[in-house]
Amino acid sequence: MNTDYVLMKGNEAIAEGALRAGCRFYAGYPITPQSEILEYMSLNMGKRGGTFIQGENEISSMSMIWGAAAAGARCMSSSSGPGYDLKQEGISYLSSYNLPAVIVYAMRYGLGDGEITAGQDSYWEAVRGGGHGDSRQIVLAPASVNECASLTYEAFDIAEKYRNVVIILSDGAVSQMIEKCNLPEPKEHDIDEFDWVISGKPLGTKKNKVTNLDRTIGYEASDKYVLDKYKTMFENEQRWEEFETDDAELVLVAYGISSRVCKTAVRQARKNGIKLGLLRPVTVWPFPRKAFEKMPESVKGYVTVEMSLSTQMGEDVLLAVKHSKPLYSYLTTYHIPTADGIVDYCNSVIAGDVEPREVI
Amino acid sequence: MATYRKPVSIINEAGWCGGCGHGVVQRLITECLEELGLQDKAVCVVDIACSYWSLDALDYDAIAGPHGRCAAVATGIKKVRPDSTVYVHAGDGSSYVIGLSETCYTAIRDIPITMIVVNNGIFGMTGGQMNLATTLIGDKTVSSKEGRDADTMGHPVDMLNIIKNLDVEFAARGALYDAKHIDETKRYIKRGFENQMNKKGFSIIEVLSPCPTNWKMTPIQAMEKIKNENEKMFPVGIYTDRGGETV
Repeated sequence: MNTDYVLMKGNEAIAEGALRAGCRFYAGYPITPQSEILEYMSLNMGKRGGTFIQGENEISSMSMIWGAAAAGARCMSSSSGPGYDLKQEGISYLSSYNLPAVIVYAMRYGLGDGEITAGQDSYWEAVRGGGHGDSRQIVLAPASVNECASLTYEAFDIAEKYRNVVIILSDGAVSQMIEKCNLPEPKEHDIDEFDWVISGKPLGTKKNKVTNLDRTIGYEASDKYVLDKYKTMFENEQRWEEFETDDAELVLVAYGISSRVCKTAVRQARKNGIKLGLLRPVTVWPFPRKAFEKMPESVKGYVTVEMSLSTQMGEDVLLAVKHSKPLYSYLTTYHIPTADGIVDYCNSVIAGDVEPREVI
Repeated sequence: MATYRKPVSIINEAGWCGGCGHGVVQRLITECLEELGLQDKAVCVVDIACSYWSLDALDYDAIAGPHGRCAAVATGIKKVRPDSTVYVHAGDGSSYVIGLSETCYTAIRDIPITMIVVNNGIFGMTGGQMNLATTLIGDKTVSSKEGRDADTMGHPVDMLNIIKNLDVEFAARGALYDAKHIDETKRYIKRGFENQMNKKGFSIIEVLSPCPTNWKMTPIQAMEKIKNENEKMFPVGIYTDRGGETV
């Protein structure tokens, strides 16, 4: 039995997972509900021989990451809502030279300042965002404190495998809750492992010029490299969890905090003879389209459960099923959904009282 | 008779306009690095603006910072690679306008990098717009066609007068309008690299530099303007020196 388990907050597990993966550079700016990541790093990064910087803002923090990543370090930043908006310039720059980094997005609810409590309404920003240009990121969505640690730990390997940014998409609930967590084995990263780093090299040897890839290898080669990479990521990295889908008639689609409540809702519904199932995307980009291709014939429709005002992930479900099945969305805004609420909504769907959604 | 050797670090042509000061600054940087034997450790951070040409011109590992963010990018590199010689070659728009915060907080953190800021009083790469920090009152640019007016556009600011109060290692301003001042500027830049070599703190060297293309002047007229006008607002000299040589 692994005795290395602890009781931790999601945010702390993200930070410890990163440190154990060999992350040795963190720069960020405080914003609720992710500040514990920054606080944890401020206390523990120095003990592991790394650098913690509380940046003057999000933009400069991301620029420090751009430099640290180019110099070969495993590095991370984290934010939420308006703070994450500011990170997008940096994410696009990281994309422009295919630099690996891990960025945490602990979603809070609302537009503008919004609320400091949990939400899932920044799905579009996390999944479609990444700044200007054809910038795509792998987005991992932990649903437990354990996954906060394990997915963050793994995110650094994925980021380096593809030389790409990986986003950890958490929310105010997953980030703030405390539960048992098995921590992964600590490891170190060699900053000279890759030949693309800038380090200061003798004259006459090959130098690296970290800027837009098209400027170093040409537009044609760069376009091909980027597109091939995105296709490979899309093909190889789709991850999901299925729960009671084998004979399901209605399948809930939810990630993060909502997916946990959905499990309870599935159990509750099945006690009353309703064949509910759950498909939980672990990667929301690439969206697990393969999971939908494998869904049984019994499935009559899908219900996304999202803490947002409009159907966000639902759009990806419609794309995944190519509009072949009706889509419904149970949207709970800044309230964490309840199992009763989900089951009631599904009963209404089955009774034909709810209109399927196309958009919004 | 003195003989001059082209620095071996310069391996490609840059595309700066005729009479531009950036090329002189690049030359001084490479001369200083080679004279100190630091060329094999150099990491060059350029801005997305006129200094960008240096990225390909030099035989150094190099990175183009997001516009204005050079000091923050250099911070990330220096923290990961403390034994490398990290320098910034950027303009005054990048360093004092959009990147004011990055420059000041890098100074406040006293990050041991060498930052070289080209003060040419204008946004060169984008076609000659006004620089809020460095365009003189009355100077005409494509975004201040009647001349800069303090009532609506504020006054230019001597950033070294601010930065010198941030407890940095070294802050100095040079100019390029004659050989004497070029020599002096080189001395400042060299001092900035020596500080880094000796594990000291943040060094910033600003260089009053001509932009004949956007000033719409001949190179000689541009040099005269710096001597007669710009230097009055932005005096050359050492602003602070923890090593003790303050003028």
